Order: sequence, then structure tokens, then C-alpha cells
Amino acid sequence: MGEVLRVENLHKSFGPNHVLKGIDLTVEKGQAVVLIGASGSGKSTLLRCVNFMEIPSDGRVWLNGEAVGRERNGKTEYREHSLIPIRTHVGMVFQHFNLFPHMTARQNVMEGPRTVLRLTRATCVKRAEKYLAKVGLSDKFDAYPAHLSGGQQQRVAIARALAMEPQLMLFDEVTSALDPELVGEVLRTLKDLASEGMTMVVVTHELGFAYSVADKVVFLHEGRIHEQGTPDEILVRPSQTRTRDFLRGHATFRLPEAQF
Amino acid sequence: MDRIWDFSSVFASRELLLVGLGNTVKLGVTCLVIGLTAGLFVGAARYSRNRLVNWPASAFVEVFRNTPALVQIMWFFFAFPIISPFNIDAFTAAALALSLNATAFCAEIYRGGIQSIERGQWDAAKAIGMSYSQQMRRIILPQAITRMVPAFMNRAVELMKMTSLASVIAFGELMHQGKAIATYNFNPIETFTVVALIFFVLIYPLALGVLRFEARLGRSQ
Ligand SMILES: Nc1ncnc2c1ncn2[C@@H]1O[C@H](COP(=O)(O)OP(=O)(O)OP(=O)(O)O)[C@@H](O)[C@H]1O
Ligand SMILES: [Mg+2]
Repeated sequence: MGEVLRVENLHKSFGPNHVLKGIDLTVEKGQAVVLIGASGSGKSTLLRCVNFMEIPSDGRVWLNGEAVGRERNGKTEYREHSLIPIRTHVGMVFQHFNLFPHMTARQNVMEGPRTVLRLTRATCVKRAEKYLAKVGLSDKFDAYPAHLSGGQQQRVAIARALAMEPQLMLFDEVTSALDPELVGEVLRTLKDLASEGMTMVVVTHELGFAYSVADKVVFLHEGRIHEQGTPDEILVRPSQTRTRDFLRGHATFRLPEAQF
Repeated sequence: MDRIWDFSSVFASRELLLVGLGNTVKLGVTCLVIGLTAGLFVGAARYSRNRLVNWPASAFVEVFRNTPALVQIMWFFFAFPIISPFNIDAFTAAALALSLNATAFCAEIYRGGIQSIERGQWDAAKAIGMSYSQQMRRIILPQAITRMVPAFMNRAVELMKMTSLASVIAFGELMHQGKAIATYNFNPIETFTVVALIFFVLIYPLALGVLRFEARLGRSQ
């Protein structure tokens, strides 16, 4: 199995705020890694450093064995135009969907293949419909985001990222903004993707989902990886007090049955 | 109070008023086109993180927004020719002043419109690999411009009204022509009534357009 993502000694500061303090993480092809941690622990920042929406302050990132950025006088340089191919290979889905409201579902999904990959219009239409069907929205091709439920919007957003046919998908609390009754449909989509072998890093507070889907669970605390391991090791028998405290805060999580 | 209204003397001068109308439209449209175009660049400059770019742009915008248009017109007509090697006619002076004025206001409309788009839209566009110009062209501007249209139409209304200020430097737009007719025929009441009516007919459809558009935006949200 190849390594899709490798992060070494990753640091990120925003001015004086040192958010990530040396993260080491590897994700193998086909793995689903779930990232948990308290609010402000740096989960989103870590994801955003992986697709270079944020530029790391220090450390190195490898995608498919290739180091991102150029080493120069002991500093790593990142040129904007060299980061664009990285972003096309790493899909990202956000908490607030961020669909393009002036485009239909189909146009939303086509936009990347058309504008960025410059595929033919016909190919893009076909791709858009394929991925919308995949997330169960064959009947919503022409709907505008404003006319879709939150769960449907989030599934369009997932299709939009999948249509780039990325090698790695990043999910940042994709169910946190949803009404409780809509969480299940999105989690099922994620679960299907994982079982089809999509490589993914998922930030979530849905510990039941983490337990049943993750190959590896990583607990982030104050910008460091505090503990990582199999779902059993982290969610059932955590060795660290901090992890236990964090889990105790999630009263709705009961093992071993996953509740969706 | 038994004044006799006599519009026939105004009607007799219709040629002069038509010339005035032509000049009013010419001045208004010129300034609007320049303002809309240059405003995009000044607005972008104000949005820039580079201080050498955003500081002059901000200074320009603040000066033109915070001084009276009348003073700007007078300045370009009387002061500008003295400090520059150019001789300047009334149309050029008025067009320059009002275009720069429109540029300043349009720059603010562009900037405000672009800033009103949520950060998530930029994020989503960037995450699928779009370059900055693609993000702007495909995602941000199409949404922002819809929100800007009412403001631009209001600006056009204001601008059409401001063209009458150019009468102070004897540019032959409607107001100036009206003054000439009124002085010559001693019929200021009738003349300026007609001038007001012409302005109203010219401007009201624009104002109506703003209302219609805002109603449509309101419905679609
Ligand atoms: N663009 C930014 N500029 C400045 N500070 C930022 C920025 N993004 C994040 N931060 C800061 O980094 C810290 C970690 O934020 P981050 O969003 O990564 O946390 P998180 O673990 O995702 O939290 P949550 O569960 O609330 O989403 C916070 O203190 C936040 O204020
Ligand atoms: Mg977050």
C-alpha cells in the first residue's frame, strides 16, 4: 500500500498564535483517518495546510511520495501556481457547504472539471451527473442550492469535490451545520466512499461514525497529536487522560453500537 | 395671481433644449461608462493588501467622495489649466470632474459588493484549484455584481442630476440652455418647469428600474 499523505513536523502560526506545533501524520492509500479534538485544537488548520489553503510555517508535506514546495536556503518556498495542481488532487468539503448559489447542482459540480481541468463540456456534464448520482441526487441536477435541504447541499458539495477525481478527500465537520435528521444521509455517503476505498481524512464529532468507519483515529490537543491508534484503542480504551476527558464530553457516544 | 402661463415661448426654443438634452445625456453617459470601468480598478486597488497600491486609491476615493461635485467641476475648469499644460473646454472639465467623482463612488460599490461575498465562496473556489482570477471571474463577481446593480443604478440617477452642475462653467447642457432661454424670454417659471420635466422623464425610468430590480432580488432570496 502506498502512502498518499505524509506530514512531517508541521507547524502553523497566525501571527503570535502558534496553532500547530509539530504534527507528524501518514495516511495510506484507501485509509479513512478520523481527526478528533476540542474546538480550537487546530483540526481545520491541519486540513487547510494539507491542501495548502494555508501555507505551513514550518515542516513538510508529501503527497503521493512527492514533497510539496521547494527547499531553498533551509526554507521551503511555495509558489501559488505550483499549489493549484495540489488542490486539484486533494478534495475538500466544508462545514457550511459553500455551494456556488448562482449555479445549479450540475453546474456546481461541473465547474472544477470545466474551468480548472479544462475538460470538454460534454465530459464535464457526464462527470457531474455521474457524481451527483453517486451521492443520490439524480433528480436534482437542475436545482439551485437555495432549493435544496442542508443534507442535499452537502452531498452536492461532496460530488463537486469528487468530480475532480482527487487522490485524497478532506472533510471538515461536514455534518456540524446540519439538522440532526439530515446528518445520517451525509454520513452514509461518507461511509460508502470509505468502503469503496477512497483515501480520506475526516474531522468530525460523530464518534459513532468514527468508530465504525475509521482505520485510524487521531486525537489532536492544543496543536499536537496527543494520541492515535485504531478506533478501539482511542475511543474505547484511550491511554491518555486528556483523551478520556474529551470523550467523556461526548455523552451521546455509546459503544459499541454505531448509531446511524 | 392671475399669471398667464405661456409655454409657447419655451416651445419656440425647443431646438435649444434638444441640444441641451443631447449634451446632458452625452456628459452623463460618458461619466457613467468611465466611472464603471475605472471604478473596478480603483476598487480592486483599494482591496489590495499592498500599501503602495491601496493608500493612493483610498486617498483618491476619499477626496472625491468628501468634496462637493460643484467644487470639483470648478476646480477642473479654473485651477487645472493653470497647474497643467493643458487647455480645457467646459465639456472636458465637467466630464473629468464627474467621471472621477463617479469612479470614486463606483470603486466603493465594487469594493463593498466583493466584500459582501462570504469567505466560504473564496475557499470553495480555491479548494477545487481555481486561480485568483478564476475565483474572481467565475464565482465572486457574478454574485457580487447582482448585489451591486441597484447601487450602480442609484449612482446613474445621481450622476444624471449632477450633470446640471456643469451649467456653472457654461457647458451647454439642459440647465444651461434653460437659463439662456429664461433670460432671453423672461419666462423662468415655464422654462424651468419644462427643464424639470425633461429631467424627470430622463431619470424616473432609472429610479423605477432600481425598485423593480430590488424587488426581484428580494423575491429570489
Ligand atoms: N485564518 C486564521 N487567522 C488567524 N487565526 C486563525 C485562522 N484560522 C484559525 N485560526 C486560529 O487557529 C486556532 C485553531 O483553529 P482551528 O479552526 O484550526 O480549530 P478547530 O480545531 O478546527 O476548531 P473547531 O472545532 O472550532 O472548528 C484558533 O485559535 C483560531 O482562532
Ligand atoms: Mg474547525
